Amino acid sequence: MSSISIDRAALPYAMELCFAGAACYLRTNFSQLAVMLKGLSISTGDAAPSGFDMHVVVDESSEKGAGEPHFRGLHHVVMASFGSSNVFVFDILRRTLSGRVSEATARDSRFWKEKLIPITLGVLGPAMGLVPVHCACLELHGDGLLIAGVSGAGKSTLSVALSRSGFNYVSDDWTYLSQLDDGIVAHGTSSPVKLLPDAVEHFQVLRGRSLQISMNGELAYEEDIAETFGVRIETACVPRWLIVLERRQQAGAIFTPMTSTEARSYVSSSVERLPTQLQEAVAMREKTIESIASLPCWHFQYSGTPQFAAKELLEFAVRQKQEIFV
Amino acid sequence: MTEERRWHPDLLRRFASTPYVFGTRDCPNLPFVESNDLAIALSVSRSNIFRRQNNWGHAMLCKLIRDISAPVDGSEITLISNGALRVLFQGRGTILIHDRERSELLGFIAPGIRAQDLVSSLIPALLDE
Repeated sequence: MSSISIDRAALPYAMELCFAGAACYLRTNFSQLAVMLKGLSISTGDAAPSGFDMHVVVDESSEKGAGEPHFRGLHHVVMASFGSSNVFVFDILRRTLSGRVSEATARDSRFWKEKLIPITLGVLGPAMGLVPVHCACLELHGDGLLIAGVSGAGKSTLSVALSRSGFNYVSDDWTYLSQLDDGIVAHGTSSPVKLLPDAVEHFQVLRGRSLQISMNGELAYEEDIAETFGVRIETACVPRWLIVLERRQQAGAIFTPMTSTEARSYVSSSVERLPTQLQEAVAMREKTIESIASLPCWHFQYSGTPQFAAKELLEFAVRQKQEIFV
Repeated sequence: MTEERRWHPDLLRRFASTPYVFGTRDCPNLPFVESNDLAIALSVSRSNIFRRQNNWGHAMLCKLIRDISAPVDGSEITLISNGALRVLFQGRGTILIHDRERSELLGFIAPGIRAQDLVSSLIPALLDE
């Protein structure tokens, strides 16, 4: 039996980090992990409204890397393991992540950037007023565009096409929204963009790239969007519009206004169900969802290429901005 | 679009139903047990392993899920303690959590772990501080 007691005195490397606008108070016994996570930390410049503790014990005798993920949760606790050497416990009420990892995993920056940090924000986020919403987010001259839609609707390919049409990229799949005194802010985590195999038809640059098995078992291209597509990344923005994406058979594109009731229902249905032990988190989340639903919202139905849809959305956003100033 | 709420699938198995319930929350010397497995519910409710653990003045809540889809991959036991929370992993599939402040014992039990093993060795190992 191995027994790990998370004792602050035994975790000498401590620092304050920031992910998606949430402060992360890291303590670990492995200096290289602290340095690597500092490199992934994204400071927003503002004081983080709330934060969480991350206590990680690195087992330097173990060289097994991250294995298959396994998740379970009950009441206020969620557990995640990635092979037997890497286990994590999320205490949502106390906003604490405790973990034991192998040295190989501690050194694996992709694991932390693409898996552990997004998962942590997804699990602990609701307790910090940070709502993970299944939508992409792009930014144009200071204004954020949230793009929701069911899996397969084309959010990621459209995010890439929009980023190559003048928008700045924030996120393509999960966006973290926090409620501040003067409105909501959308954050990305700089995770790689995940594109399904048919994206190669729209983006020549993917030819010759390798497909990978993503965490949900799908075969996909997982690309660093700035490196692969040469586009600009924004870490956060203020959302101004919500678009719900739908594919259609007929040629062309149509924008149909959505009521705030429809928008609230849509966003509510896309968030995770939380247990009764987390009523405070549920209440905070409802407030943020209310703010999202109060944005101007449209259904956007289109057929054709992501480049065509991006052109339509760019024109739409420019028109909307002009209407604000008229 | 309707107002009806559609939830994601319960991938964490947070909302697994627990039809077997024994005990009351008012009796400090007995556990209040909820499980989806009759053998687990009976074994835990009849055991006396919680008698010395009580510090809340009411029963320890035990919610234990027999997890038939959990991986069965090893017998190595890992214990992680942080503050009031102590978690035991046996392999990846069996996970037991003790929240000392909330007087709760929660867990997922992998196939192949007998109810008897749970009360005779795993829960005592978790509670033994």
